[in-house]
Amino acid sequence: MIPVRCFTCGKVISPAYDEYKRRKEAGEDPKKILDDLGMERYCCRRMFLAHKEIIDDLNPYQ
Amino acid sequence: MEIVFSSINDSAARFSITGTSQPFANALRRAMIGEVPTLAIEDVRIYDNTSALFDEMLGHRLGLIPIRTDLDCYIPQEKCSCEGAGCDRCSVMFTLSVEGPAMVYSRDLIPQDPRAAPAVDGIPIVKLTKDQKVVLEARAVLNSGRVHAKWQPTTTCGFKNYPIVEISDRCDACGQCVEECPRGILVVKGGRVTVVEGRLEECSLCRLCERACLNTGIGEEPAIRVRSDDSRFIFVVEGDGSLPVREIVQRALLYLKSQSDELCEKIGEVSGVTGDEEENE
Amino acid sequence: MAGAYKCARCKQKVEIDVNVRCPYCGHRILFKERGAAIKELKAR
Repeated sequence: MIPVRCFTCGKVISPAYDEYKRRKEAGEDPKKILDDLGMERYCCRRMFLAHKEIIDDLNPYQ
Repeated sequence: MEIVFSSINDSAARFSITGTSQPFANALRRAMIGEVPTLAIEDVRIYDNTSALFDEMLGHRLGLIPIRTDLDCYIPQEKCSCEGAGCDRCSVMFTLSVEGPAMVYSRDLIPQDPRAAPAVDGIPIVKLTKDQKVVLEARAVLNSGRVHAKWQPTTTCGFKNYPIVEISDRCDACGQCVEECPRGILVVKGGRVTVVEGRLEECSLCRLCERACLNTGIGEEPAIRVRSDDSRFIFVVEGDGSLPVREIVQRALLYLKSQSDELCEKIGEVSGVTGDEEENE
Repeated sequence: MAGAYKCARCKQKVEIDVNVRCPYCGHRILFKERGAAIKELKAR
């Protein structure tokens, strides 16, 4: 799961993740998506760029 | 002291303060971050959690959700007459009950007091597949950012000195500084370098322009000089949604005032001089 | 103790006596079931 807030500045970033993921899978440039989502600072941007979603890999093992 | 807002809305503000000192500006910054209380989830009672996340992880994520706070309606727990037992003056109860397959969002937290709902609806908390279930109860309390960052009303909150850019008559409009400036605040106009209208506040005081000027071989002294105004500050304050930024600034200033009044009073008690005389001196 | 574990393969409730092994299907991976107690924790 994407962290609720940016580790560095504390901005609530997680609501934007669904859209980020959808548009990135559609092949859009992450720079453009993050600009559209209002992620201005590089601390918040790296939260998206460096995130690896593993919840779907974990769920079969419950 | 003069405060001029260049932009303000509920989530962010930018303003400058003139005629004050750096220590005061820092006191205001610290008061906004650490002394303005907000609501945040503190205690979680988990009845059932068969999701992929541990209970602790779930609790941690809940704690970080900003909650809309009406500071006139709530008081900190230590000041409450219930003595930490938890009443509706000092805490808000939330219930959350979701069965998979579904994504649990912050809007699924049902508050006891509808005014104290999560400030952002779409925060994903955990993804549930078939047969997974989360049932819990959470209690939000009022506290300050000094105790834990989840109670901070601000995200970005900082200030910088007001820049002063001086361009002397020795400027030959070579344009090297214009090219070098990372914030793009300079322009060549009428045979001289000037600051672009309205962009002076963008200056980061990096002084790359001074260095560029020296590198052109103009002499010992650069024709462009960047200084900072020691009595004028530019603040940038961004809220997390729990309080409007205007209220954060107001409450921080009120806090500073009450703290200084208290100090005056205490000094008066110690020295035997009343507070009024102290102020006159 | 009864039903404190669940077999990872056949999902049946299992008790552990001597061996860690599911008596129904022989699988050796068991999950511990969540207790009925309400868990209270701090959201930090």
